[in-house]
Amino acid sequence: MGTDMTLRNAVAALLLIVTAVPAQAQLRVFACEPEWAALVRALVPDAELTTATSHLQDPHYIEARPSLIAAVRRADIAVCTGASLEAGWLPMLLQRASNPDIQAGRPGLFFAADHAQLHAPHDHVDRSMGDVHPEGNPHVHLSPDQLPEIVRALAKRLGEIEPERAVAIQGRYIRWRGDWNGLRAEWRARAEALRGQSVVVQHSNFGYLLRWLGVETAADLEPKPGLPPSASHLSQLLANPELEDANAILIASYQDPQPGEWLAEQTGLPVVVVPGTVTGEAPADTLGGLISEIIRQVESAAAGASHDGV
Amino acid sequence: MLKRFASFAILPLAAAAGGATANELNPDVSVTLDGYYKQNETALSHREQGFGLGHTELSLSSPIDDLFSGRLTAVFEEHDGDSEVLIEEAYLQTNGLPYALNVRAGRFLSQVGYLNGRHMHEDDFVERPAAYRAMLGSHYYDTGARLNVLLPTPFFWQVGAEAFAGDQLTEGEEDIGVYTVNTRLGGDISLSQSWQLGLSWLRNRHAKSAETGDGSHDHDHEEGHDHSHGAAYTGENLYIADLVWKWSPDGNNREQQLTLSGEYLYADELNQFAASDDTNEGWYVSGVYQFAPQWSAGVRYGEVDLQEAHGDHFHNQTLEETDVMLSWSRSHFSTVRLQYTHQEAAGFSNADNTVMVQYVMSLGAHGAHGY
Repeated sequence: MGTDMTLRNAVAALLLIVTAVPAQAQLRVFACEPEWAALVRALVPDAELTTATSHLQDPHYIEARPSLIAAVRRADIAVCTGASLEAGWLPMLLQRASNPDIQAGRPGLFFAADHAQLHAPHDHVDRSMGDVHPEGNPHVHLSPDQLPEIVRALAKRLGEIEPERAVAIQGRYIRWRGDWNGLRAEWRARAEALRGQSVVVQHSNFGYLLRWLGVETAADLEPKPGLPPSASHLSQLLANPELEDANAILIASYQDPQPGEWLAEQTGLPVVVVPGTVTGEAPADTLGGLISEIIRQVESAAAGASHDGV
Repeated sequence: MLKRFASFAILPLAAAAGGATANELNPDVSVTLDGYYKQNETALSHREQGFGLGHTELSLSSPIDDLFSGRLTAVFEEHDGDSEVLIEEAYLQTNGLPYALNVRAGRFLSQVGYLNGRHMHEDDFVERPAAYRAMLGSHYYDTGARLNVLLPTPFFWQVGAEAFAGDQLTEGEEDIGVYTVNTRLGGDISLSQSWQLGLSWLRNRHAKSAETGDGSHDHDHEEGHDHSHGAAYTGENLYIADLVWKWSPDGNNREQQLTLSGEYLYADELNQFAASDDTNEGWYVSGVYQFAPQWSAGVRYGEVDLQEAHGDHFHNQTLEETDVMLSWSRSHFSTVRLQYTHQEAAGFSNADNTVMVQYVMSLGAHGAHGY
């Protein structure tokens, strides 16, 4: 009797699975940063997403909070930047969550930086240089040329985790790729006008995009990578001749605006605060929208500056 | 199979492309330098007056293979001219067993309470609260095994048990001298607030046979805390409740963070002569406000009400301690701290107020911190 019941249940379950593909369990994804959550949403719109950080938080300094440990415990895949960006908290989350699928070297842990050519890798690093990542600049989500490869690898990995949805994921990747190519052509055209402009930054988080646009970095408000701007460093900056050519001070929304505002008062440069990553609201609710928005803000600062110059 | 191998193979290649991994196969090495100046001797303290070295650590850690990782931590201490090397951690740890099981074996810090499982260099004050110094020897570590499971609940809920030799707490005959059971719950209240609650029970089977001294009344109070890491005030049962609440605007703890924490410790069945009302008790509450990326200020208040064993009877001792501290961290790896400690005591001859200046420097690899 028992076997009979089990068999009938199994057949019923099988029928349910075959006939009700859209009703299968959701893919549970843990994204370390909102940019990867946005890309997962583009590839698997019905994924159940937990995002560890927001655009208002410095992703270097998140705590391995109980809620995040619980989320990693439940997830099918974690999508993170890598290149030591999350070195202060992700290893602790992985260890405490002890999810067998999400461990170093297993398919359930996806690092975007493994699929990118990072800028400025270092053969030699010591802490007197500041918080320099030996692997190179990890803020690769704003690189228009590298994202397609990252998203291709992400789509492939998601398809491996959910083989029955691999075709649909691949289809969405191709659509995303087409949209991205269109956007990139548009940014390329807008970059012509920005080439040779320069901005003051705070940390290297916009580095990939600025380099791609041909916008130079006049100065960095951080005395060393990862160290908060100090009064002595700021007063040294004032004497920096490259400030003369700068058009704006570009700050991410999670950063303390005060050092930039102080420099703005001294120099008359405008402070441009943009999200460092995807926010929940348009236009910066997708990576494409975010990059368009950052370019728009840099353009308007540049236009304002040249206006003043006339 | 092939897929797994492929992802294994890609990782080192990708990293090698960065040129950063020439010694990837070597363990991560980290050193913690802890030095201080202390104006006056204080009660129940592990730090002597004057200039001194605190918890100087050398730690090696590394993944062993895809299932195990390991850590060795040696602590160097010097007391009255004698140098000693203590092995504080020497354990293996599993990575991702089925059902979110987590096994640790070897020597490691017990997970009872909030502070005990943390490394001392992560602390916000120069010394642990008096309750920890008296009842856990600041931090209780021992040789044994741990099994934890993280339940598949939507909030964080961990249940764990440990078995230890027990000799680091109280010398005794039993092979398994100490058992602990611990559970921990936690979650987020909002984007800016998070919390964790822990309940622990530590069973010390050596407590009943503990050495209780000869009962002479000229007993030197220093002897009870002779800088060994054994706890001076133990009991057969130790219960700990801990609660932590953290707040930072928009959850951006880089800029600002307020941490409130408190623990209550209660021990009974102190030794073979103990009556039912002979108990050790202690608690503290602590508030630390990191008001800028490099600056923190904090206040902590704690009390202990202890029974010091004198042969077949006890002497009651109480201590109230208030600490105020200000610390500055140039980077994530360096901290300089100024602290003032005020003690009011009964039954302690060496209670005093003191100013302390401390540095904690971290060299080399810097592991991820817990909550």
